[in-house]
Amino acid sequence: MSRDTNRERLLRFLDAIRRPETPLAAIREDENLIRAGLIDSLAVLEIIVFLETEFEIEFPATGLDPGHLTTVTAILDLIDAHAR
Amino acid sequence: MFLGAAPGPIHEPLTGRRLQPQDVQAEVQRRVAGYLARGVARGERVLLGFGNRVEFFADLLALWQLGVCVVPLDARLTHFEVETLARAAKARAFVGFEAVDGELAARLDGLGVAVLDSVEVARKPPALSATPPGFALDDEALILFTSGTTGNPKGVVHTHRSLRAKWTALGQALGLEKFRRTLCLLPTHFGHGLICNALFPWLSGQELFVLPPFTPEAVMRLGALIDEHRITFLSSVPAIWRLALKTARPPAGGTLERVFVGSAPLSAHLWQEIRGWSGTRDVCNAYGITETGSWVAGTTVGEFEPEDGLIGVPWGAIVAVTKGGSVDHPPGTGELCAPGESGFVWLNTPSLMKGYLDREDLTGQCVRGGWFLTGDLGFLDARGWLVLRGRVRDEINKGGTKVYPADVEAVAERFEGVQDLCCFAVDDPHYGQNVGLALVMPDGSPERLRRLHAWLRLHLAEHQMPVRWYRLDQIPRTSRGKVNRDHIAEACGRVAPVDLRGVFGDHP
Repeated sequence: MSRDTNRERLLRFLDAIRRPETPLAAIREDENLIRAGLIDSLAVLEIIVFLETEFEIEFPATGLDPGHLTTVTAILDLIDAHAR
Repeated sequence: MFLGAAPGPIHEPLTGRRLQPQDVQAEVQRRVAGYLARGVARGERVLLGFGNRVEFFADLLALWQLGVCVVPLDARLTHFEVETLARAAKARAFVGFEAVDGELAARLDGLGVAVLDSVEVARKPPALSATPPGFALDDEALILFTSGTTGNPKGVVHTHRSLRAKWTALGQALGLEKFRRTLCLLPTHFGHGLICNALFPWLSGQELFVLPPFTPEAVMRLGALIDEHRITFLSSVPAIWRLALKTARPPAGGTLERVFVGSAPLSAHLWQEIRGWSGTRDVCNAYGITETGSWVAGTTVGEFEPEDGLIGVPWGAIVAVTKGGSVDHPPGTGELCAPGESGFVWLNTPSLMKGYLDREDLTGQCVRGGWFLTGDLGFLDARGWLVLRGRVRDEINKGGTKVYPADVEAVAERFEGVQDLCCFAVDDPHYGQNVGLALVMPDGSPERLRRLHAWLRLHLAEHQMPVRWYRLDQIPRTSRGKVNRDHIAEACGRVAPVDLRGVFGDHP
């Protein structure tokens, strides 16, 4: 799947879990989602579940770099890396 | 002051800061002098508006040496809530870390509450001209506000005597060996994190490693942090474990000897997963209540198989289960349940709070003859182990953080156009429970709902914000006019929730 398609799916998901008063359009793709107020800190768990179910990413026993889930760009990079 | 000769070393793993016991003593003494110079005196109450840093612990010990009662606050509270608690506590001062928000400072100043900066207090203090007054065992030591941050605060008052009873009981029941390198990733404004996870080992001379509370970045690195700092013990809540199990690599060093899980129900499944991840079978469901100084029972029972609701044996307390739930009939006059028979759980422990701050009415509703009516339902099995089956207490357990419906309702009902309402628990796959709100509000226009949302945001902390809203024609009530929150949750389950994102559209 292309990065654009993945982006579309990811943004649709983020739109469903975001704080209602913070529109997606207000956030840059390289902006930290929590610090920008789009989601709360434990919503990271929802992103993980989304990546597991939608992209069949299995988070490795070696752990996860927290930086991979903080921005739209980083999450798309993670999806790309998994696809390779 | 200390349970051992001195507190242990204290570390902040994420910043690399580390204080040896003599450094801690020096930090405390600087603050004693700094607070004395600012006129802080024995018998006063001081709010600590930050936590989970070495300065917090130095401030706490300094203020105790001065005979001051400390009120740790959740740093996420709104200005409105801090003001409400400052008023309830009749606080002498608010201590922040570095810059205190200007608007908050102005509000506190209006109440006559001095605003101090922890760092500033410790900077170049004058030489101590007198011995600090110290405290008596029955002086107030801590006030932990558990609810009422938006209206009628409910503050649990612990004395130095009740805290010492707690720590002594834990030391005798649990020993110190497994706590020698303790990690605290729980907030220090509530009993579980402060009294038990942090102060019990640290004041007994063990090493304490303090992380910012509920920080995903730290949880994702949990296994690495455990290895790097050779952690032997940590306590946490189920929601944090769900995140850690998904994202953090297990520790590889084999240092972890004991894990406690508390503040929310622990399923047998999650229990087993934590055992597998942590590499120790000593994973204990720790039952704690702020009113009893937190941890009061747990599965320190030798070899056992995890079961839903299993708690285990008491630590420095007597547990009894009665058939009736009236505070007028504590064990002794109330009829006790047979083994395996469910009823109302009572505790009798010298670590019981002094009472609720200026709320004798509330204290009388749960304390009688030395017994504390917990609000939990459960039974003692044939082995004498406590098993919990539910709660009668009116609270929403959001991932271990308690949200009290009355606090949310007290704010929402003041919004013009809300004719009736009810706050209740909704199921949440990640937090276990979350905050739902049923509204009778004839004008449900997007503009009106946006204003209500802004009103709630202004007065409620993030974790208290309702995430699912429902509009009903009326709030179902019993024949006596009372609300049954479970019934309202059922009624809301039959209608679609308000589409909050649609309500906001492009309106931030």
